[in-house]
Amino acid sequence: MSETSDILLFQVGLRIFATRVRDAVRIGSVRDVPADSIILDSSLGRPHSRERGIVVATPDEQQERTLVIDEVLGVRTVHEDELRPLPPFAAACLPGGAVTGFVLLDEAPMPLVDLPTVVRQRLARPTPRI
Amino acid sequence: MAEPSASSRPDAGSSGANAPEVWFFCLRLLGGRYAFEAHLVTEVVRLGPLTRLPAAPSFLPGVFTHRGEVLPVLDIGQLVGQPAVPIRANTRAALVTCGPWKVAVVSEAAEGLVAIPRRLLERAPGESSGVAEFLTAVGRDKQGPVAILDLPRLVEAARARAVPAGGSGS
Repeated sequence: MSETSDILLFQVGLRIFATRVRDAVRIGSVRDVPADSIILDSSLGRPHSRERGIVVATPDEQQERTLVIDEVLGVRTVHEDELRPLPPFAAACLPGGAVTGFVLLDEAPMPLVDLPTVVRQRLARPTPRI
Repeated sequence: MAEPSASSRPDAGSSGANAPEVWFFCLRLLGGRYAFEAHLVTEVVRLGPLTRLPAAPSFLPGVFTHRGEVLPVLDIGQLVGQPAVPIRANTRAALVTCGPWKVAVVSEAAEGLVAIPRRLLERAPGESSGVAEFLTAVGRDKQGPVAILDLPRLVEAARARAVPAGGSGS
């Protein structure tokens, strides 16, 4: 029997992404989150709304950050054979590690993203977070 | 007539060393005919729906699945500063393998194998910008002129150009 992984599917703008459930500390409202903990726009795009977020722990930050998203689409348990690696050419062309592979959903590849890396990359950018 | 360059020689392509013609694989791109070594092509496929990648350079418009494998799409037009090749439901791409890189080169149309008489191959003008930077020869067959691309060098250039484009990572 193949191993399984729990995958969280979420939407930012028009795009759908997947992440391993363990990368998300919790999902909640953005309303009461301090402004300096909110990540509004990231390499995943800019959400249409500012209501929901995925709380992400970044080990080197010692602070939780809330990545604003549009919608949580659900959690799926997928078999390892439904996961695909990032093709070498794409890996060589994308900046460091935010996309780690793909989850095949109805044969369509959904980017599997590493949320701590997405947050870390966003924090490294000089522009204001909001 | 100039000697054909390395990629247009039969020992690098699909013809015998003394054959009177050289075989290439031809795509329609950027309003013209572009060809490259035939042995680089494994298959021509119809592009499925593309999944865009966050922070990807413009010449990497997305990925798609083909027989369960996720393949990156390379848009040569975007790489050389030209308009993107339109991607529609019937858009064809050539799956090519250049060293470690396997990519789907998107095209306006896939013409397929073409045989170009060796005597009609000439060295490409030495220009260093746009798609001309990657030309090794120009030739002619019954359909008209065809530009010969050094595809491995083009793919490697794409990879190299993506590194600074990645910048801060988003």
